[in-house]
Amino acid sequence: MSKATSQPNPNMLARARGPRGFGGPVEKAKDWKGTIHRIWKQMEKQKMALVFSIIFVILSTLLGLAGPYLIGIIIDEYIIPKDITGTIKFLGILTAIYVATALFTWLQTFMMVRVSLETIRNLRQDLFNKLHTLSLKFFDKRTHGDLMSRVTNDIDTLNNALSQSVIQILSSILMISGVAIAMFSLNWVLAIVTLLVIPLMILTTKKIITYSSSYFIKRQRDLGELNGVIEESISGSEVIRLFGKEEKINEQFSDINERLRRSAMAADTVSGFLGPVNNFINNLGLGLVIAIGAVLAVHNLATVGIIGAFVLYSRQFFRPINQLSNLINMFQSAIAGAERVFEIMDETPDIVDKENAIVVDSLKGDVEFSHVTFGYEDGQPILKNVHFSVKAGEKVALVGPTGSGKTTIINLLSRFYDVTAGELKVDGRNIQDYQISSLRKKIGVVLQDTFLFSGTIMENIRYGCLEATEEEVINAAKMASAHQFIQHLPEAYLTQITSGGENLSQGQRQLLAIARAILADSDILILDEATSSIDTNTEIEIQKGINKLTEGRTSFMIAHRLKTIENADRILVIHQGEIIESGTHQELLKKKGFYFDMYDSQFKLQEI
Amino acid sequence: MKAMKKLVKYIKPYLLFAILAPLFMCIEVVMDLLQPTIMQKMIDTGIANQDNEYVIKFGLAMLLCAIIGLIGGIGCIVFSAKAAVNFATDIRHDVFKKTGRFSNQNIDSFGTGKLITITTNDITTVQQAVIMILRIFVRGPLLFIGSVVIVWFTARELFPILLVAIPVLIAFIYFFSVKSGKLFSQVQKAMDKVNTKLQETLAGIRVIKAFDRQNYEKDHFKKVNNLLTNRLMTAEQFVLTLMPIMMFVVNLGIIAGLWLGVIKVNEGTLQVGVILAFLNYLNIMMNGLISSSHVLMQIARSFPSAERIVHTLETKIDITEPVQPRTIYDLKGEVEFRKVNFSYSKNGNNVLQDISFKAKAGQTIGIIGSTGSGKSTLVKLIPRLYNPDSGEILIDGVNVKDIPLENLRNSIGFVPQKATLFSGTIEENLRFGKELASERELDQATESAAASEFIMRLEDKFSHSLLQGATNLSGGQKQRLSMARAFIRKPSILVLDDSTSAIDALSEGLVQQALREDYADSTVFIISSKISSIIDADQILVMNDGEIEASGRHDELLRKSEVYRKIVATQTGREVEFG
Repeated sequence: MSKATSQPNPNMLARARGPRGFGGPVEKAKDWKGTIHRIWKQMEKQKMALVFSIIFVILSTLLGLAGPYLIGIIIDEYIIPKDITGTIKFLGILTAIYVATALFTWLQTFMMVRVSLETIRNLRQDLFNKLHTLSLKFFDKRTHGDLMSRVTNDIDTLNNALSQSVIQILSSILMISGVAIAMFSLNWVLAIVTLLVIPLMILTTKKIITYSSSYFIKRQRDLGELNGVIEESISGSEVIRLFGKEEKINEQFSDINERLRRSAMAADTVSGFLGPVNNFINNLGLGLVIAIGAVLAVHNLATVGIIGAFVLYSRQFFRPINQLSNLINMFQSAIAGAERVFEIMDETPDIVDKENAIVVDSLKGDVEFSHVTFGYEDGQPILKNVHFSVKAGEKVALVGPTGSGKTTIINLLSRFYDVTAGELKVDGRNIQDYQISSLRKKIGVVLQDTFLFSGTIMENIRYGCLEATEEEVINAAKMASAHQFIQHLPEAYLTQITSGGENLSQGQRQLLAIARAILADSDILILDEATSSIDTNTEIEIQKGINKLTEGRTSFMIAHRLKTIENADRILVIHQGEIIESGTHQELLKKKGFYFDMYDSQFKLQEI
Repeated sequence: MKAMKKLVKYIKPYLLFAILAPLFMCIEVVMDLLQPTIMQKMIDTGIANQDNEYVIKFGLAMLLCAIIGLIGGIGCIVFSAKAAVNFATDIRHDVFKKTGRFSNQNIDSFGTGKLITITTNDITTVQQAVIMILRIFVRGPLLFIGSVVIVWFTARELFPILLVAIPVLIAFIYFFSVKSGKLFSQVQKAMDKVNTKLQETLAGIRVIKAFDRQNYEKDHFKKVNNLLTNRLMTAEQFVLTLMPIMMFVVNLGIIAGLWLGVIKVNEGTLQVGVILAFLNYLNIMMNGLISSSHVLMQIARSFPSAERIVHTLETKIDITEPVQPRTIYDLKGEVEFRKVNFSYSKNGNNVLQDISFKAKAGQTIGIIGSTGSGKSTLVKLIPRLYNPDSGEILIDGVNVKDIPLENLRNSIGFVPQKATLFSGTIEENLRFGKELASERELDQATESAAASEFIMRLEDKFSHSLLQGATNLSGGQKQRLSMARAFIRKPSILVLDDSTSAIDALSEGLVQQALREDYADSTVFIISSKISSIIDADQILVMNDGEIEASGRHDELLRKSEVYRKIVATQTGREVEFG
């Protein structure tokens, strides 16, 4: 098969909207052999079970061939001579063979399901684990639906193919070789004639498979894209409803659904052709055998009996061959899916530990941004030559208009991204020298977008520190002023919250996120708009808790309510990716610059 | 089974295809059955007598049969794909449309992960089942019935064996089909868990990384992954046991045939050829049964999927169009709550209690109160995202339940707490508010929402593409767009649910100014935790524990509300004294 011609555009949705999404150049099947090889490598971990099931396949196939042979003997040598006792004796042997066949067949499938599912389990886990090694850049690029579809749909398809096809392919091959041997020992000329059809069959099969696999890939793509739309519209359903855009989303969905209708129809139709076409070739082959047989018979090179036997044999011969091509066809969708799975596996994580990365036990908390420039996309810097240093234990506030780059600074400090130019130092060392996991453990973050997991409130707070006792969790909640509302929930700390925490208000979610960060007990604390949706009363209470927490620790705070950051040791004013002012609240007010304007405008409103 | 019946209506438009497919399959089967007979004749008569003309004649007949068979086979494939794919696509369309009309409560009851599984996996399973039925289900029974009939006519002496074997086989098939249906519904449940975990991982990837919980998540995933694997293992291993059992039963039939055969041959009542024929037909019969049972299994496997699909389609949407709609053509924006109570759980734990107030058209209503006091819930009742448990909400004197949903929601510009945007360009997102907005309107709305500045700084301006979840914008930028989206409607009622939490004070001032000047005619609801945002409101509602603790203008409240005074004190940093 041909090698990959072009890498697909990772931004599926860009294609989705264009009217040209359909009808582009037909995608060729990509690296077939490579993918199969990699699947095989995955299966190797189950070598023993695989070996056993192969042994069972051989045994059951051989016994399967022995049955009819024995029946022939029984009929010719015992039934026709009317020997009842002899018949019964041989029937006993036949029964034993049948029992063994059934047993081995069962064992073989039993083992093979195990092999396949274990392989799939590992693959699924590997893929999941892999996702965790990838940086946010990767996730920024892809839709959730597309990734979901790879871990679920694509892997399922592969499972179906593995658990059913592998064994059948093997037994088919055994059967084919057994019959071939028998045919050649009977009459080599007719045997060659029978085999003549095989190239034709392989050719058409290959043609159909190549043709259909491009449709299969397309179908899987459309399905992934559809998942993206489905997920987005379900998670954003409230907004859709509010703006009465049900119809519009329906149209968008219908668009892709219609595309899927076509690609699925094409995939199912073309791949289905294999059966009848091969059946037709079989029949042609049979006709050929009989025609040549007739000629041979005229020249006394074959008997009627041998022709009869060949007719039977060629049936037995082509059935597994047909099956084989069917199985390969089934593999098509699996390979297409597996390719997409391996595509993720092949992503190189761009943020990884260096060799000899330093394991952090504790951080003093010195932070230095040294001429840092950074942009999420090339050529679009968000931060420009940002330069500042923070001493251990300092409380730093970042203020500035929306989009000025405050959150980006936080993202760099958590090492979600690496700087484009310049250097970011923690405790005097480049942040890239540290082991990422141990570094992040020592940096506590309350993010702007608070995300909670489905599970109990207790579990969610404990996310900050898995070893925390119940008491510690409650203490953290108290410090975050979350205890109050949690107590009033139907099952207090054991209340289940749904994925994304939608059954809590934004403010309550922020309180939980703060409690979670408090429990983490880090050396550097980052609060990114952590209290934006919390009422001021509660905020002041939390502030006490946070003050206690930040004592002696370096902390970064982003807040729009300038009130909350007034008592920071230093305030950095960021505007369009640059630090334009820095100093204490009082200093900055005296300066009458940007900060003063911001402060003034916020509080002027209150002076009425 | 019932669920399947309910889905049958979806095949109706494609009934012709669904009928043609098995008919074409019949053609292929008949041709396949004809082949051996023709061949037999060619060998027995033609070759044995060296009658070349006979051989050629029957050879051509065979070729014809093969071609007709090919047409039959391809016809079946084409029509079955047409029927099944169209069937599934239509169902998917309806399921999606239905979920689009779901209320918040409906969605909560399913969960996003499950809804996705239903619209994708479940529907694919059902589609596959239909294809199998149309392609193989005809072939199997035809072969089975054909061979039983032939045994009756040609080997009646051995027919009693079938009388024992067939019921046994059918009993096994039945038992396995029923049981496997149950096992696979367990599998599906585990699958849902895997999907949920996965989805949360994708949505919460920042939190996971920030807390360095990769290993914890991996362990968690391992658990659900193992559960799924184990259940799948049980189910698949069980299902695959059927095959050897059936083979064994048939083989016992062969042994019985030989045994009975040798006795009857001894008695002289049976020809040896009949035994051979019997053995052959037994094999054909078994092949027929096996392929039918495979299909049955596939169908059984699709039952739980079909059930979930039907469940989705039949879920009652709890917010529906009014029976006797009263359209308000020139909606002014007067909003009144009368003794409104509301709870999410419906078990007496009221989130809103006895809420009554009236907002005149064009007024600005500020809502303030502590976290969880019911502010957001209150405004969500206005566009009927939820229905109140008791009490009434009136707009221009008409109960919202009587206003057509489109009319109602089109008159409201809502800025939810969470700024949800969609993948697409900024312009497309803004046009969400008003499809046919002019360029001027776009400019004006973004100007009012203090969003122009950052949009203009983008390279593609309004054509800037947002990723799913708008992850390429900051929180404040999202909020601005979310506001602009609502502003562009020039709505009679504007709801801002804490929509400026991530916006700096300067920009917020701009937004407030715009609200005063450009949206003076709109009734505006502002939820905020900042006094500064609501200080000018015509009426401020102070919420506490689901109740309106006090209401009035700023100075009025300073006099009469202790709660309000406290909030003001904490925000301005000075004690407020009045009296």
